[in-house]
Amino acid sequence: MLRLAGVSYRYPGAGHETLHAVDLELYPGTVTGLAGAEQAGKSTLCLVAGGLAPRVVGGTVNGEIDIDGQDTRDWPMHRLADLVVTGLQDPGGQLSLIAETVFGEVAFGPANLGLPYDEVVSSAEEALRLVGIEHLRAHDPTRLSGGQQQLVVIAGLLAMRPRYLVLDEPVAHLDAASAKLVLTAIRAAATAGTAVLMAEQRPEAWTACDAVAVLGHGNILATGAPDEILSNPRITTLGIEEPAEVRLRRRLSEAGLDPELMGSAS
Amino acid sequence: MSATAPLPSARAQGASPWHELDPLTRLVVALGTVAAALVLGGIVCLSLLAALTVLVPAAVARELREVLRLSLLLALPLGVSVVVVNVLFSPGTPAEGALLATGVVLRILTMAGAAVLFYRTTRPAELLASLQYHGVPSRATFVIHNGAAMIPRLAERAREVTEAQRARGLDTEGNLLRRGRGLVALAAPTVLGAMAEVETRTLALETRGFTRPGRPTLLWTPHDGPVQRLARWGVLLVLIVLVLEHLAGVLPC
Amino acid sequence: MSATWLRVGGGLAVFALIALAGLAALGGLEFDEALDTFTLVMVVAIPAGIATYALIEYAQTRRIDSITGQFDTRTLVLMPVAIALNIVLGTAVASALKIPIYFDSIGTILVAALAGPLAGAVTGFLANVIWTYLAPPPFGSPFAVPFAVVAVVVGLMAGTFARWGWLRPRPDSSGRRLLVGGAISIGAVVVMVVIALRAWLAAADGSSLAPKSDDTAFFILGWLVVLLVVGTAVGLVVLLVRRRDLAAAYILAAGVLTGIVAAFIAAPIAAGLFGGVTGSGADFVIAAFRRAGADLEQAVLGQSLISDPVDKVITYFVVYLILGAMATRTKARFPQGRYLLPLNESEDVRDRAAPER
Repeated sequence: MLRLAGVSYRYPGAGHETLHAVDLELYPGTVTGLAGAEQAGKSTLCLVAGGLAPRVVGGTVNGEIDIDGQDTRDWPMHRLADLVVTGLQDPGGQLSLIAETVFGEVAFGPANLGLPYDEVVSSAEEALRLVGIEHLRAHDPTRLSGGQQQLVVIAGLLAMRPRYLVLDEPVAHLDAASAKLVLTAIRAAATAGTAVLMAEQRPEAWTACDAVAVLGHGNILATGAPDEILSNPRITTLGIEEPAEVRLRRRLSEAGLDPELMGSAS
Repeated sequence: MSATAPLPSARAQGASPWHELDPLTRLVVALGTVAAALVLGGIVCLSLLAALTVLVPAAVARELREVLRLSLLLALPLGVSVVVVNVLFSPGTPAEGALLATGVVLRILTMAGAAVLFYRTTRPAELLASLQYHGVPSRATFVIHNGAAMIPRLAERAREVTEAQRARGLDTEGNLLRRGRGLVALAAPTVLGAMAEVETRTLALETRGFTRPGRPTLLWTPHDGPVQRLARWGVLLVLIVLVLEHLAGVLPC
Repeated sequence: MSATWLRVGGGLAVFALIALAGLAALGGLEFDEALDTFTLVMVVAIPAGIATYALIEYAQTRRIDSITGQFDTRTLVLMPVAIALNIVLGTAVASALKIPIYFDSIGTILVAALAGPLAGAVTGFLANVIWTYLAPPPFGSPFAVPFAVVAVVVGLMAGTFARWGWLRPRPDSSGRRLLVGGAISIGAVVVMVVIALRAWLAAADGSSLAPKSDDTAFFILGWLVVLLVVGTAVGLVVLLVRRRDLAAAYILAAGVLTGIVAAFIAAPIAAGLFGGVTGSGADFVIAAFRRAGADLEQAVLGQSLISDPVDKVITYFVVYLILGAMATRTKARFPQGRYLLPLNESEDVRDRAAPER
């Protein structure tokens, strides 16, 4: 379990904290969604959960952060990389540029970890298969579309077989088909035991989540099952988009009709 | 060990004995040739050098025509200037000037040839893997590889911004101030965009274990051997001898 | 603090020792030979000085943190961009511009300012090596590699000046300092512009200094550089007069000093190896000097002493602009970033919990 308890974070030179007393727990085999408006601090929370803040970004962290019971606050970044990896928003910017092919790019992470050759190759192959981009294995990653690059980045992270996977808006710029692929891959990774934290804006993402946490102005406002959280009408005031189904049901009730007419929920 | 699936051969790996050599060996020859060309001055010696370390390997690699063509292309503008300057301003007779000029031109050609040969026969990824195999830290190979890889990307980005600005009516004619503003509008996004990417890439590399001490797993290993190792040390030795002879003033050419 | 002085002192002492010993031993009574020997001695003395510095630090602390600290991940990611900047701009200028400036050290100085002298030196060195051996056409230049030692020195100097705070913005400087610094700077700008223009116009024999190229990107980059030449002179004056930013004086000082040193190291290389011809606009100036009666080495040195300071002043100014456009937060994350911030801001970004390195 990855546990944040009472964690607050301040960027270097900033006058105020971006995160306040955040409590969050990520359990193996589950996907936790992180919802919130643009400036609510989702990206910051992703950086802190993944350890990139304060190690690479600077700033001050207060509170407790444990992974599997161990206090990781003094661990160097490369030691954390064995356990938790983070995906960021700009796909092109995350490419290492050091690989001629998609396969090389995906194998970059496992190779860095110093895994034996066969394991590096097999994890890379498996990740390519999981994300559905085996046909791109020999392509130059820098020549792919943004959506394809995002798939490559995610495959690269999955290839490291992390126990904890933090993703900042993984499906934000993908078309519906690619988004579905990625969400399926994320679910598959969870089934295999990974704990996923996924910050997103798109409502489709919540279908892949076991729990959703709502972030507002740097505070966790609520945590719970997706249905429960997202059918709360207050979410729109927090800048979170209502899933289509929820909106429909609400409109039906407002119109005086029985929402159950819609049939079973998603 | 031969290249396996992870590193597909774009330039027909193993197409010739020269290609089969460890990229490090090819690099040492290229660097050695340039260094020797700087030290040697005589026409005979330079010709021998060029023949031995540029022309012969190029022929073996079946790249002779391309190497000659590109070397001439690179060296020609400079070569012409050298001849003109040295014949017109020669402290002695024009003939002496021409002799000097020929030496300089040969030197330029040899250096260009060595660089072109290396560039034509070695892929950056191969060189990278070879350097890692020989123990160069991955931080260094990262910078070297990406340094070369960034060049077309930066030029591409500059072109994209140029086109975007053109479409928005960047005035390529007009007074200096207007053109000035337009050009700053061109340069600023290119440079600042590159800087923003630096931040993202730093985070991405760190999370993927880039800073882990020790060597990453190699996906490809070069064909190295005792003969090549000997040859590399041999090149270094010859160079040292040449430099010492040059300093002592006893160089025959 | 004294520990650092010991290291720096040791490095400089070894450097000076080898330099003087080399120059004495290799004789060189004639001007020409002296210049050649000077370059060769530099090639040996500089790495020796750096190695001594590292050895002393290792002896003191069993680590070489002041060197490795300059090469954190962020710097490593920046360096390829800087190398590409050197090569792309340098190639554009060489192919499209007749003005004898090189404009191929902007990346070197940028990295030196943000990360440190050694990082800058390595950037410059690698840029020259890559320019010759790994750069794809049309960017490859076989003539870059011999000048690698010049790039190393430029990086070391720029990094040191930055460390001393010479690239800090100093807006609203007051009174006497501004007056004195400003007057000297404006005077220097005028002198340099006059000398440079006279030399270049005389050399070009009336033909236009405007860029010519078939490649659109080079053409535009060429114009950008012309703009920068004019703009730098104007810009420095504007900084002094409008913003009362004394940094302009420091930029000038850094540029002139770096330029002069670079000229002395580069001239023998250009003269000895290529007969003074480099295929750029510099050739015309050299020819003009020779028409006036100078021999090859003198002509090349003369041309370098005009071009290099101008080139470096422009480069430092452009780097200053780039740094100005970067957010405080971004600069602060680099190893030497805090020396680039105005004095009042640099305190705030020192963090209590220093990031793991």
